[in-house]
Amino acid sequence: MSGNSDRVPVETADVWPDGADAEEAVVVNWFVGEGARVEAGDDLCEFQVEKVSVDVPAPTSGTLDEIVLGEDAEFGRGDTLAWIRPDDG
Amino acid sequence: MVGVSELHEMYEEMVTARHYEERLQEEYLDGKQPAFDISAGPIPGELHLAAGHEASGAGVCQHLRDDDTVTAPHRPHHIAIAKGVDLKRMTAEIFGRETGLSKGKGGHMHLFDPDVNFACSGIIAEGCPPAIGAGLAAKKRNTDSVAVAFLGEGAIDQGAFLESLNMAAVHDLPVVFVVEDNDWAISMPKERVTDVENGAQRAGGFDLPGARVDVDDAVSIYDAAKEAVGRARDGNGPTLLEVQVHRRMGHFMGDPESYRPDEDKAAAEQRDSIERLAEDLRAHGVEDTTIQESRERAHERVEEAIEWAKDQPEPDPADAHDDVFSNPPSGVTESDPSAEVTGGDD
Amino acid sequence: MAQQEESEQQATERSLTMSRAMVEAIAHEMRENDEVFYMGEDVADYGGIFDSTDGLLDEFGHDRIMDVPISETAYIGAAVGAAQAGMRPIAELMFVDFFGVGMDQIYNQMAKNTYMSGGSVSVPMVLTAAVGGTYNDAAQHSQTLYGTFAHLPGMKVVVPSTAYDAKGLMHNAIRDDDPVVYLFHKRLMGIGWMPAPDGPKTGVPKDDYTIPFGSADVKREGEDVTVVTLGLHVHRALDAAESLADEDIDAEIIDLRTLVPLDTDTVRESVAKTGRLVVVDEDYRSFGVTGEIVASVAEDGLADLEAVERVAVPDVPIPYARPMEDEVIPDTDDIADAVRSAHRT
Repeated sequence: MSGNSDRVPVETADVWPDGADAEEAVVVNWFVGEGARVEAGDDLCEFQVEKVSVDVPAPTSGTLDEIVLGEDAEFGRGDTLAWIRPDDG
Repeated sequence: MVGVSELHEMYEEMVTARHYEERLQEEYLDGKQPAFDISAGPIPGELHLAAGHEASGAGVCQHLRDDDTVTAPHRPHHIAIAKGVDLKRMTAEIFGRETGLSKGKGGHMHLFDPDVNFACSGIIAEGCPPAIGAGLAAKKRNTDSVAVAFLGEGAIDQGAFLESLNMAAVHDLPVVFVVEDNDWAISMPKERVTDVENGAQRAGGFDLPGARVDVDDAVSIYDAAKEAVGRARDGNGPTLLEVQVHRRMGHFMGDPESYRPDEDKAAAEQRDSIERLAEDLRAHGVEDTTIQESRERAHERVEEAIEWAKDQPEPDPADAHDDVFSNPPSGVTESDPSAEVTGGDD
Repeated sequence: MAQQEESEQQATERSLTMSRAMVEAIAHEMRENDEVFYMGEDVADYGGIFDSTDGLLDEFGHDRIMDVPISETAYIGAAVGAAQAGMRPIAELMFVDFFGVGMDQIYNQMAKNTYMSGGSVSVPMVLTAAVGGTYNDAAQHSQTLYGTFAHLPGMKVVVPSTAYDAKGLMHNAIRDDDPVVYLFHKRLMGIGWMPAPDGPKTGVPKDDYTIPFGSADVKREGEDVTVVTLGLHVHRALDAAESLADEDIDAEIIDLRTLVPLDTDTVRESVAKTGRLVVVDEDYRSFGVTGEIVASVAEDGLADLEAVERVAVPDVPIPYARPMEDEVIPDTDDIADAVRSAHRT
């Protein structure tokens, strides 16, 4: 994971649905691709946990540097979905 | 006064219905985790389960005979079980198998068992007009058969229901309308869609008797239905009956119910009519072991039906072309779709 | 038209599902115009069973995103009345199959009041509805019924196949002074629990834009066979075209996008080039879209026609069990077979 010191992870813990018992989710849709310019708060992707769909906002403005988990990928609550390279990073 | 044997019968039907829904839920979710894909798993399509509604089917149908007609809505299993629909063939239908009640053409919202005069429909309140039609036929033929239309409380705002109340009333038809109030029309709580607190109040505007059973209780429903069905059978016209039930499994399988307060669901789950009826049985001196035997019999029956259904063959694709008509127009050869006609895998 | 859209799509880095594109257009129109409001079953707190209004309640509240009683006659008719009073209502039928419950308001009021009033009344409303099968919901929840609405005069009929088209067509639908029936295919919405095929999720500009009604879109250019289709089957036809390319059959795929008005010019021009016409539809075969397209080409360009094929749902209700539903809803192989057959002729 070298070079991550200047990149910001896109994570799901903050938006994980309250009532969900499941600890596993699935990435349903990405709305931006690698290399895209994103603003903090833009919806980057959508995941589904127990049929509840949840949007994942960009934690910071910058460039979507890397998508770690693509569409249909299964993941757990703490996993990193993608990395953003911030504007001033 | 309800007898102990009837209590016992209702109890076993209700346990059957509850276990049936729990097992269907399990089967339905098989292959749908962690990603819920509606097209995955052994049971096709949507699934509306009736856990929490059992007292209504059991309490009402206890008064019905095979020649009485029942129409049910999109949440029909508990009513079908109480009406005596063939459980194995109904289950095969839900699994989309060739030996299902409708050879796999109908599915869980469109179950038909003419042997016990049961039918259901997936469109809200649409079972009401056919029910008054069955009542009309009984009246014209001078039999003492009755018809019961089941609907949800969300359906009481629908024209098909209101028009049927009026027609049943003006012709004194032997019909009972049973509104199952589970408090939710998908995501809509009733206070947001109707100003009446009590669906039975609709009866007043049509000058027919209306009654509401306020508690999730099979015995109270049994008593109210006894009066209503008796009135119909004696030629004294229709009744509108609303009964309180509750929804334990969402509107359809996979409903996230994010609109529903957790407290509401938790409170509803406390009103378990099956547990309440078990208490009644004990109060009548029925031993716990007897109650347990009842449960085991019910579970076994459900398991048998599901096992049998899953063993049944899937329909032949070409069968899709049959049964559009009872009397196919001349020149139409069924099961012989021409290669150019469609869509076929021919 | 197609090229212009392509460049617009490339200009954006963001792609959206079809449902999100529709919602974005509705939200924009609601911000711009206080007269726009949305009525339907489970459109508020639920956000639409098929995500057609997802998120709108948060911004606009229950006054403008209205859950209604299960009373299709009343609320569709109320939309007609509000539209005639000058508002711009959007009314949603949860499933198009439920149209029967409120059909009188749709075809005897919404569709005819302009004409019956000699043009003195207009009905600027949108009727949205979810359409289509492929997920075993059986006979009362799987139909498309496009052709029925298009058959009855007085309604504009929109059937988007991509997010880009869905947004532009929705803007146009809400701004149009006539009643528009906007039919979205469930399988294209991009809902997590009903995965869409590749294709409907496209780049979508953030700003508003309109796609005029009556402009079919050539989704794939080809020389050999013209395939005219709409909705979900645009994507199935595109898949078929890819496999046919390996056999040196070059199919042109035309997405009608609207049935009323119908862009016969684009279809005619294509058939003039290819001489071979395949019409693909998820509606019933008889008295429907496929027959209408073939007839309209035959009327004006019979001499161009060397081969015609129709691929549609045979005249049976949609069955429940998977093997039978698969039998009646045309799939990619059915389309490829029809194109091959037309090509051989």
